[in-house]
Amino acid sequence: MTVIARRLAGHLARGLVMVLVVTSISFVIIRNIPGDPIAARYEKLIEQGMSPEQAERATAVLYGFMPKGNLWQQYLDYMSGLFRLDLGESLMTPGAQVTDVLFEATKWTVLPVLVGTLLSFLIGIMMGVYAAIKRSGRLGDILAVSGSLLHGIPQYVLALLLGALFTTLIPILPSGGTADIMFEPGFNLGYIGSLIEHAALPVLTYALASYGGWILAMKSSVVTVLGDDFILAAELRGMKRSIVFRYIARNAILPLFTILALSLGLLFGGAIFIERIFNYPGLGLMLIDSITNRDFALMGGAFLLITIAIIVANIVADMLYTVIDPRVRSGEEAGR
Amino acid sequence: MAVSVETSAETPVEPMPESAPKTAPGVRVGGLSVVYKTPAGELPAIAGIDLELRPGTITGVVGESGSGKSTLALSLLNAVQPPGRIAAGSVEIDGLGDVVGLRGEELRKARGRHIGYVFQAAQNSLNPLKTVGKQLLDLGRSHGVSDLRALVREAKELLGRMGLDGARVLDSHQHELSGGMRQRVGIMLALVLNAHLVVLDEPTTALDMITQATILRIIREVHEERGLTTMVITHDLGVVAEVADRLAVMYGGRVVEQGPTHEVLATPRHPYTRGLLGAIPRLVGDIDEARALPGRPPTLGTVPREGCVFRERCALRMDVCETVEPPTVADGPRLVACHAVEAGGAVREESA
Ligand SMILES: Nc1ncnc2c1ncn2[C@@H]1O[C@H](COP(=O)(O)OP(=O)(O)O)[C@@H](O)[C@H]1O
Ligand code: SF4
Ligand SMILES: [Mg+2]
Repeated sequence: MTVIARRLAGHLARGLVMVLVVTSISFVIIRNIPGDPIAARYEKLIEQGMSPEQAERATAVLYGFMPKGNLWQQYLDYMSGLFRLDLGESLMTPGAQVTDVLFEATKWTVLPVLVGTLLSFLIGIMMGVYAAIKRSGRLGDILAVSGSLLHGIPQYVLALLLGALFTTLIPILPSGGTADIMFEPGFNLGYIGSLIEHAALPVLTYALASYGGWILAMKSSVVTVLGDDFILAAELRGMKRSIVFRYIARNAILPLFTILALSLGLLFGGAIFIERIFNYPGLGLMLIDSITNRDFALMGGAFLLITIAIIVANIVADMLYTVIDPRVRSGEEAGR
Repeated sequence: MAVSVETSAETPVEPMPESAPKTAPGVRVGGLSVVYKTPAGELPAIAGIDLELRPGTITGVVGESGSGKSTLALSLLNAVQPPGRIAAGSVEIDGLGDVVGLRGEELRKARGRHIGYVFQAAQNSLNPLKTVGKQLLDLGRSHGVSDLRALVREAKELLGRMGLDGARVLDSHQHELSGGMRQRVGIMLALVLNAHLVVLDEPTTALDMITQATILRIIREVHEERGLTTMVITHDLGVVAEVADRLAVMYGGRVVEQGPTHEVLATPRHPYTRGLLGAIPRLVGDIDEARALPGRPPTLGTVPREGCVFRERCALRMDVCETVEPPTVADGPRLVACHAVEAGGAVREESA
C-alpha cells in the first residue's frame, strides 16, 4: 500500500509540473496567435451594425476584462489565478466565469467519451478473446478482419458516415444540442430519453472508432498469453477450465488497461472533431468557438483541461497497472 | 426393488478417477508414435516406442536434446501440444486405463491428481499475477480438495524439505523467486496432491550441484515413502545414476536401450549408449557436451526414414543398418535395438 501511495504522490507531483509547463506554453502560444482579439471584436461589432465609435468604446470596455499590463504581468496574473481556480472571465459570454463555462461543457464531453469507450472496451475485449480462441475458425477470422477494417477508419470519417446515415438517410437520430428544448431539464423520462437520443451519435462514434482496436489488441494479447508456459503448466496440473480461463483473461487484459486509460485521455482531444461534426456542445466544440472568437481565457482553460485529462489518464493507467500487476508493484521498489 | 436392482447394476462401474488405486501404478507405453506438423508434412518425433514403467520404480530417460524425451513425457498425460498429436499407440496406466483415449473432464481430473508433472520449463510454470499460495488453492479447488488447510500444510512441508521457507514461498509471486526456487515450487505442485505417478522433465536443470543433489535425494525419499511410480527425464547421466532404478536411452525418437540402471551404465551395449558413456569421463555430465561422440543428433527433418536412426554416427554401421530398422531384442532385463548386438549380449565383432 505504501508503495502505491508513494508512486501516486510522485505521479501527482510530476503531473502538477506538467500542468504548469503546458499552461505556460499554451499561454505564450495563445497570446501569439495572429489576429488581435480586440480587432476581431471591433470588426464583429461593426458587422453587427455598430458605428465605429460605438464599437471602439465597446471593445474598450471588453478590454477591461482582459488582464492589463505587459505579457509577463499577464502571465503572472494568469498563473496566480490558476491556483485560485480563477481562469478569468469568458469573452464570449460576458460575465461568466471561465471555470463555470468549462465545467458545463466538460460534462458533455466526459459522459459520451466514457460511455462510448467503456462500451467498446467491454465488447471489444470479449470479441477479442473469442477471436483469439477461435483464431483458426471462420468466425474468428471474420472478427479479426472486421476489427482491422474498423480500426483503419479515421474517427471523423466514421462520424461523418454515421451522421449521414442516421440523420439524413434514415433520419432516426437528432443532431445538435444535448436535448430537445421542449423538455424540462431534470430527472424526467422525456428529458433523459432526449439526452440519450442526442448523445447516441457521438457515443456510437467513440465506440465504433475504438472497438476494432480493442478486438485486435485483446486478440493478440490473448494469443501471446496462450503461448505462455504457465498456461500449459496449469493445464498439465489439471486446473479447472474456468480457472485457466481466468488466468488467461487476467494476464491478457493487463496491458490493455494502460491503452484504455490513455485512449480516454486522447479521446478528449478527438472530441474536438466529433463534437464539431455533430454540433454537440462539449469541450471540443467550446474550444473551437473560443478560437474563432479569440476568447483567450476560455481557450487557455480548455487547453488546460484537455492537458489535465491526458495527464490524469496517464496516472490512472499507471496506477491501475501498479494495483493489478504484482511485478510492477515490487519491481519498481527493487529498481530504486 | 427396482431401486436395488439399479444400484447393484451400477456398483461395478465406479467413476473412473476416484477409483484409481492409491498405490504405485504400472505404466505400459505400447507402439507410441507422436508426429508434429511441419511445413514438410507430419514428421514423427517419437516412433513406435514400447516402454514399461514398473510400479514403484524410478525410470530414468536420457538422450540428447531433440531425442523426444519431453514428447514422450507429455504423452503420458495425453498432453502433446499442437501442432503435434499422438498418431498411434497406447499409454495404459493402472487405474486410469489408456490415457490416449481420455478426453475432457476425465483427462483433466487425471492430470494433477493421478499424474504429477514437473514441466521442463518449470521456471515459468506459475501465473505471474498470483501468489504461489493462491495458485495452490486453485489447484486444490480444481481437484475438489475439501481440506485446503491440510493442503497448505502439506505444501509447506514439501517446500521445507526442499530447503525453502514454505510460508514465505506461498506468499510470494513468481518474480520474487529464483529459478531454483521456482523449480522446487513446480516439484511441490506435482507432489502435493499425492499423485502416484510422477513425471519430472529435467527437474534440476536450473539448479546448482548441491541443490540438485538435495532435490534428487528428496525425490527419491518421497518416491519411497509414498510408493510412487516415477519417471525422471534428464540430460545428465549423473542424475540418472543417482536416482533411477531403470534407465531408458532415447535417440531419434526411439528407445535404443533400456534396463536396470547399474547394468546399463556398467555394460552399455548399444553403440549410442557406449558413445555417451565413453564420452563422459565422470559419470556426472551433460550429454549435449559429450564431445567424443562425433556428429550431431538428428532433428525431425533429418531422422532417417528407414534403417537405423543412429547409423550416421555409428562406428559399427553395417549394410543392413541402411535399410532395416533394428528390432528391440530382449536379453534378460535388458532391451537393445541394434543389429550389431547379438541376442547373447556381446557386440558382434570388434569395436572401432
Ligand atoms: N511444437 C513442436 N513443433 C514441431 N516440432 C517439435 C515441437 N516440439 C518438439 N518438436 C520436435 O520434436 C522432437 C522431439 O522434441 P522433444 O520431445 O522436445 O525432445 P527432448 O525433450 O528430448 O529435447 C525434436 O526434434 C523437436 O524439434
Ligand atoms: S543398428 Fe547398425 S547403425 Fe544402428 S546402432 Fe546398431 S550397428 Fe550402429
Ligand atoms: Mg525436453
